[in-house]
Amino acid sequence: MPDTITPADVGAFTRDQVEILAARKGEAEWLRASRMAAHGVFADTPMPTTRLEDWRYTDIKKLVRLDEFSFAEERGPASVGAGLPAGLATLMAEAGEFEARLVQIDASVVIRELPESLAAQGVIFTSLEIAAQEHPELVQKHLGTAITTDDGKFAAMNAALWTGGTFLYVPRGVQVEAPFRVYRWITEGGTAAFGRTLVVAEQGSKFSVVETLGSDDLAKPALSVGAAEIFADEGAVAIYTSVQRYGRGVAHLSTDRLVAGRDAKITTLYTSFGADLARADVQCRMQAPGSHIDMLGLYIADGTQHFDNQTLQDHLAPHASSNLLFKGALSDKGRSVFRGLIRVHPKAQRTDAYQTNRNLLLSDGARADSLPNLEIQADDVRCSHAATVGQLDEEEVFYLLSRGIPKAEAVRLVVFGFFAEVLEQLPLEGVKQELLRVVERKLATRR
Amino acid sequence: MPFNEDVAALGLDEYKFGFRDAEDYIFKSRKGLDEDIVREISSQKNEPKWMLDIRLKALKHAQARPWPEWGGDLSGLNFEDIYFYIRPSEKVGKTWDEVPENIKNTFERLGIPDQERRILAGVGAQYESEVVYHSLKAEWEQAGVIFKGMDDGLRDHEDIVREHFGKVVPYRDNFFAAVNTAVWSGGSFVYIPKGVKLDMPLQAYFRINAESMGQFERTMIIVEEGAQVQYIEGCTAPSYSQDSFHSGVIEILVKDGARCRYTTIQNWSHNVYNLVTQRAMVGRDATMEWVDGNLGSKLTMKYPSCYLMGEGARGEILSIAYAGNGQHQDAGGKVIHAAPHTSSRIVSKSISKGTGRSSYRGLLHVQPGAHHARSNVECDALLLDEQARTDTYPYINIEDQHAQIGHEATVSKIGDEQLFYLMSRGLSEDAAATMVVRGFIEPIAKELPLEYAVELNRLIELEMEGSVG
Repeated sequence: MPDTITPADVGAFTRDQVEILAARKGEAEWLRASRMAAHGVFADTPMPTTRLEDWRYTDIKKLVRLDEFSFAEERGPASVGAGLPAGLATLMAEAGEFEARLVQIDASVVIRELPESLAAQGVIFTSLEIAAQEHPELVQKHLGTAITTDDGKFAAMNAALWTGGTFLYVPRGVQVEAPFRVYRWITEGGTAAFGRTLVVAEQGSKFSVVETLGSDDLAKPALSVGAAEIFADEGAVAIYTSVQRYGRGVAHLSTDRLVAGRDAKITTLYTSFGADLARADVQCRMQAPGSHIDMLGLYIADGTQHFDNQTLQDHLAPHASSNLLFKGALSDKGRSVFRGLIRVHPKAQRTDAYQTNRNLLLSDGARADSLPNLEIQADDVRCSHAATVGQLDEEEVFYLLSRGIPKAEAVRLVVFGFFAEVLEQLPLEGVKQELLRVVERKLATRR
Repeated sequence: MPFNEDVAALGLDEYKFGFRDAEDYIFKSRKGLDEDIVREISSQKNEPKWMLDIRLKALKHAQARPWPEWGGDLSGLNFEDIYFYIRPSEKVGKTWDEVPENIKNTFERLGIPDQERRILAGVGAQYESEVVYHSLKAEWEQAGVIFKGMDDGLRDHEDIVREHFGKVVPYRDNFFAAVNTAVWSGGSFVYIPKGVKLDMPLQAYFRINAESMGQFERTMIIVEEGAQVQYIEGCTAPSYSQDSFHSGVIEILVKDGARCRYTTIQNWSHNVYNLVTQRAMVGRDATMEWVDGNLGSKLTMKYPSCYLMGEGARGEILSIAYAGNGQHQDAGGKVIHAAPHTSSRIVSKSISKGTGRSSYRGLLHVQPGAHHARSNVECDALLLDEQARTDTYPYINIEDQHAQIGHEATVSKIGDEQLFYLMSRGLSEDAAATMVVRGFIEPIAKELPLEYAVELNRLIELEMEGSVG
């Protein structure tokens, strides 16, 4: 069945370019070899078509033409307050409290800020490029182990071509209150950026990471192919949030894998506000007994925005639990796809797993596709899923109208309340407030 | 109810319908599927040319189409090894006495005449590829109701058949619909004239006898404006070591204000591939109800569907699947809301035992402009054993903002507390588990006519035997 590979499928991202990339960065042989292997998978894997189940509702061949992009440019070091793109400076100014910051513009990490007190405790927070040089054993042990060659064309593309990147290592028992903030900015149309994140939470550590992706509205399309691997060891508590606020013109494809060890707890939140096309492929793995993952998602599409969320709650171990709540609102010709799977492997007895996807359709051209799936191979489990697609609750709107609130405002309030349920589950007050403002603004400028 | 004794008394420890008759046929095609076979079938039936043309077009399409890659595992199904047409007898029996002795024996063992006598309803019974026995109450005939085998339907009512054949399920729809269109034989033809309401169900019974047999019945039900009908079919096959193949197509047209209920209890033997297309087009203010029970077969892929074409149309799909050792029940339902103010409900219950696997695969589609569509889907799966598996794959595609669509599914095992409670009242663990299962399927069972509900419960009890401990 595989379609024949055309030069356009591989685009400008050739094997030679990977070699050049690895050589220019002076990368170790193991890293160069893994890039080359990944490039092989990328080149051998045809562009997904809608005949593939995973891509049934997202015609990526039509939406993204790889030969239209060239590598995003490299940038020199920068500093906050001087020479940052205005849009990026605004994003950063809007953020709530933070502990440390890392900023990537196009292909390069340009700002790294880590307080001395954290560095003294052994926390590493730097670009993945630097980490691969300075802490090769840590990086090699984890990089590419949660995302594998089975994860498809775009995961392989990222593994072959990533630049800059984020590496966060929090040693055993270290607890950090305010979030680590990461910003990724794309400056130009016609370019492709490959951000990559590796987070290692050692035993009993506790912290949060917030990644914000942004750009201006771009006249020419730009491509963002991201990947993240998050490992939480025994008893660790990690929160990972991705705030996608790209401008129009951007296509964002990401592959994220989160692995929870014994009694570890991971909370993730994936939001989609910007970009023309955003597709998140997020898999959480309950690797050991007592692990728990909360997966949250929030998306608001208007215009012709197309958001596709693919999730997996993968239960490999007994006595673990997971809970997913994805909510979205669609207006104009906005489209969403949610395809979620709870998979309980034969040995994962006593699993508790829940999955809920709720969609609001706010206009007639909008469309929502929801595929909440279950595959259960253990018998002593409690699993359920629910999905709804519908309009605003007219009674709720009517109630507000009867209190003298104008229609537009009443609708906005109800939609706002709809999303609040997701954000209330995010245990980061500052980020929650920030996201509520983003939601509010997006709803206000709804076309 | 002390069902254990019941079961022993019935001697049902083995697959009940596993007996087989000696093969004594008028015509048996060679194995495999090609143009000659299709021409042979058509000429044996003395069909009009337009039907042969459709068959040949469908065959071409089937041959060009890739083998289906989704759903259950079809790798064990080999077309080269299937008889696509077997003709058991010269003529269709008008009375029970006219039916050949060996076939009659079969049906007597299946309890068909008995059932007919009991409820005095119409029975069409299909034996291999031909309808051999057939009767209809006189007053229905007078009202213009037609209920006969599909081959007779084509012969006697060519205009009606030609107008509707392949309109609800075109051969291009899916691979198995194409195969069925090419080699179809038998099935029921039902026509209910405008305003006629039947208060007794029509019944048909399908059976596979020969080994490596493919059965491809084609059923067409046309319910004219304001009319009402209930149609019930049951299916069995004896057990053979060779796998068999059943691939029916059921086309139903429910015109404005009409009502149709179609009930299937499928209990094929455990080596039958049961791949069926069941679809209804539902007109304005009309109602279509599917009641679908899947207990037998090796692999079932069956998704009864309602296309709600007229304003105010309603579709309902109630299904139950029981997957025992080595079985895969890939069942579900499809509803397409294509008009405003349409509503639908899907209730699906599945039980997986041993290495059985049950899958719910559903589609709920609200097309643009089908405003004020309402739909609710509930899927509940019960797992009885550690190796059992269940999946839920609901597709929900909503393209109109004025819709209220909900889907819910749960998976659980039999509650320890429920078992404990029943056992503390003196029930054995087996009996307690069976009672819980029976309660679980109650919402579906209560929709069945009495004798089918009894049969369903009995089959479940049978399957449940020794399932605990």
